[in-house]
Amino acid sequence: MTHDPADTFRQEARDLLESLEQALLDLEQTPSDRELVDSAFRSLHTLKGSGAMFGFDEVADFVHEFETAFDRVRKGESAVTPALIAVALAAGDHVGRLIEEPGRYAAQGEPILAALQDIVGDQGSVKSTSVPAPSDDTRRARSWRIRFRLPDDALALGTNPLLLLDELRELGECDIEALTDDVPPLEEIDPRVCYLAWKVSLTTEAPREAIEDVFLFLSDGMTLEIEALEPGTSETVTADQASRVLPQDLDTDRDKSQAAGESPGKSAQPPQHREAKERQGSSSLRVPAERLDELMDRVGELVIAQARLSQMTGASDDLELKTVAEEIERLSSGLRDITMGIRMVPIGTLFGRFRRLVHDLSHELGKEVEFVASGEETELDKTVVEQLADPLVHLIRNAVDHGLEDPERRELAGKPRRGKVRLAAVHAGAEVAISIRDDGAGLDAERIRAKAESAGLISPEATLSDNELYQYIFHPGFSTASEVTSVSGRGVGMDAVKRTIEALRGSIELTSEPGSGTTVTLHLPLTLAIIDGMLVRVGEGRYSLPLLAVEECVELPESEVAEAQGRNFLNIRGSLVPFLRLRELFGASGEPDPHQKVIIVSSGEFRVGLVVDQIIGNNQTVIKPLSKLHANLGTFSGATILGDGSVALILDVAHLVNFGRGFEERLRDERMRREA
Amino acid sequence: MNDANRAAIAMQALILDLGGEIFAIDAAQVREILDEVPITQVPNARPFVDGLINVRGRVVPLADLRVAFGMTRTATDEDSRIVVIEIELGGESSIVAIYADRVYDVTDIETASIEEAPKVGMRWRSEYVRGISRRGESFVIIPNLERIFVEEGDLEPVPQKAEA
Amino acid sequence: MSKTILTIDDSASIRQMVSLTLSAAGYQVLQASDGEEGLEKATTHRIDAVLTDLNMPKMNGIEFIRQYRAHPSSAGVPIVFLTTESDDEMKQQAKQAGATGWIVKPFEQQKLLAVVKKVAGS
Repeated sequence: MTHDPADTFRQEARDLLESLEQALLDLEQTPSDRELVDSAFRSLHTLKGSGAMFGFDEVADFVHEFETAFDRVRKGESAVTPALIAVALAAGDHVGRLIEEPGRYAAQGEPILAALQDIVGDQGSVKSTSVPAPSDDTRRARSWRIRFRLPDDALALGTNPLLLLDELRELGECDIEALTDDVPPLEEIDPRVCYLAWKVSLTTEAPREAIEDVFLFLSDGMTLEIEALEPGTSETVTADQASRVLPQDLDTDRDKSQAAGESPGKSAQPPQHREAKERQGSSSLRVPAERLDELMDRVGELVIAQARLSQMTGASDDLELKTVAEEIERLSSGLRDITMGIRMVPIGTLFGRFRRLVHDLSHELGKEVEFVASGEETELDKTVVEQLADPLVHLIRNAVDHGLEDPERRELAGKPRRGKVRLAAVHAGAEVAISIRDDGAGLDAERIRAKAESAGLISPEATLSDNELYQYIFHPGFSTASEVTSVSGRGVGMDAVKRTIEALRGSIELTSEPGSGTTVTLHLPLTLAIIDGMLVRVGEGRYSLPLLAVEECVELPESEVAEAQGRNFLNIRGSLVPFLRLRELFGASGEPDPHQKVIIVSSGEFRVGLVVDQIIGNNQTVIKPLSKLHANLGTFSGATILGDGSVALILDVAHLVNFGRGFEERLRDERMRREA
Repeated sequence: MNDANRAAIAMQALILDLGGEIFAIDAAQVREILDEVPITQVPNARPFVDGLINVRGRVVPLADLRVAFGMTRTATDEDSRIVVIEIELGGESSIVAIYADRVYDVTDIETASIEEAPKVGMRWRSEYVRGISRRGESFVIIPNLERIFVEEGDLEPVPQKAEA
Repeated sequence: MSKTILTIDDSASIRQMVSLTLSAAGYQVLQASDGEEGLEKATTHRIDAVLTDLNMPKMNGIEFIRQYRAHPSSAGVPIVFLTTESDDEMKQQAKQAGATGWIVKPFEQQKLLAVVKKVAGS
């Protein structure tokens, strides 16, 4: 944790700028929302205040002007327009730059402020009033006579007259006399009221302001006279003083004392509300991410050790031992859930920047875009969320740049001028599906084909479905736009996206409909650390698969058992589900079990049945990555260590489902060919 | 082979038996030697690395040099050992295990005793052999593990930089 | 015995700065990030002074001062609020609500210390 408030401010400023940006983007949609204006204003206000505190003067100065301009909006003197939002966003960005690299960008602020002031119709704010020059620069000791009496409620409101006298003493030599004239008889004394007044003779070099400063907080309702005792100058000083003497009204604001408590001082007051209520939500702790990773590792080891313990005690007759083992199992699974929960963050933390991205893109490309995001609350492991930022930026750029057509072309095609890009995240079993859908022109299969042919990726004779052709855009170096725009760039394309997603043990799916748009869906595992698994046996090998991906388990019908190479489809309540015989896929030796089971698993909208010899049971699967030597085996997404210390491979459900879809497509092609 | 190269090969070596041949592995690379542990077969993996083992909670690939040297893979027996070594794979230091029919001892291999592997007349791919030394009557093969893992494990020989 | 100061601010950097400055000078510091949390802490701990921001989410500083002053444990406890030069209206409201003093932002550490010392002693 940092100990430099300036670092904390930088972090805080990032958060404030982000919420400013969100408020501005929201305002663009609902320009009349007062709360959004207030929220933006509050962000600016805090930025200014804290920035000035920690030496970010450029920030404070710039934000001050920004705030002044925006204040006109807050007061309703200027309307929220797209032009205002655009400049305000630019101003926000500028603040970010000023914070990250002070001294480099200050000059670039002027045109932004000018534009801002132009829009809000402000002539530029009056520079903040300069500090008044000290009234006398000669430092010589003068004598003063000071008389003061505190407001009645001063004690209750926390003023301590002894501290005031101490302060006067610090200014110079003091002669202090308490005036007791107003002290009532004992029976009339209200212990909360200060009846004393004081007369002080002070000799000090300090200017009058310093003396006034002692009583700075007491201007209302107190009597204060400050009189210079210097012969010769007294006339002018007194004249000057007249305007400075503070109000002498003792009775104003008396009502505010009503709030004061019964007892006069804090010392006599035992704390009355000791029952510390549990605070919810508002208190949080920043922890370095590595510590979370370390914690997860330890919990993983604990889970493995616990599995061993369970296995050993399972065979034991010692009831007491069994009880303890069960207790530890319960505790470790609780600890696992909590630890994983700590690592989960809502994906919405990423979405904010995408709105800005779309906003900027639409201006840059001259396209009208409506951006709709949903499922912000969907949670994913933080590592996954962090690594999703770049791929999603790329996909959204693609959708706006290549997917959506120009407004004119959309009109010609009978579509609304305004294109739509939807970003949605949903939970689906053991995974989260994130889809980016545009209502643009769809992918051009012919153009992809031409490109793939000229790149030598496919031969001109090859027959490929449109869907198969679309997948070529994931090929390294493949770019579908014939002219490369500045927005989408060149080179790092969909192949980089695909690699990132696969490195996260996720998969990517692309569908496109000519004329009505393209959808890219990312399927990602909920976590990279520990999952609830189902342990199965195929031949001699044991394999784990994510329990959340399992839809149901059925017995392999007798009719299918014999037909080893036959049609691999099962009828599950009326729908045909392809199935894979894992014995065949894995080249298992030995005789298959007499009653083979089919586990129906799903990924996205697709399902596949996995035929296994035996379902062993559920287990906690601590996911260990496979080494480079096994990285290209699509069938397995990792490995885990079982209770007996041996290693089991984890089945990659998304990959197997894709494999099964291959069957389906072949079947469809076959049918079509037969019908033709 | 010049003298400088020979000096580089001189080492303390773990001596082991594979298919009746004697091999020497740089002792500095060896992490530990395990008695027989459960081996998990990896379906559809290359025969050279078709196993996985658990080394103190870590899943480690198990390689069989016999595959690289074209030897028959005989069943394990009580002398079989697994040698866990640290090796550069694709530019990253990695932990892998190699199978041994038997492990003898750790010996100093004198620089002067190492000879270059003959380019011809050998049963094995010469680039898999760094050098040959003698141990009494028999030859000791010093395998080029990095090269073997790259070739047999189908790894990129030069680490690929990720695109910017 | 060292005095306990409660600092209420939604700005983490300001809380940190206040906390560092005051604890270096020998004060105990409690922190809260909005008026609600501040009120809870102020009424359940022994406090010698409160430093509060005015512009805060959930419960702003003015409302905090009002509610705290309505609570008996606030008697004799000075409340100093942080304000900016432009916020004169807020300043008046805070004073009406029962604040003891104020500090104008931006302020330096010495200024903060001086004010805390002024209202709470050292």
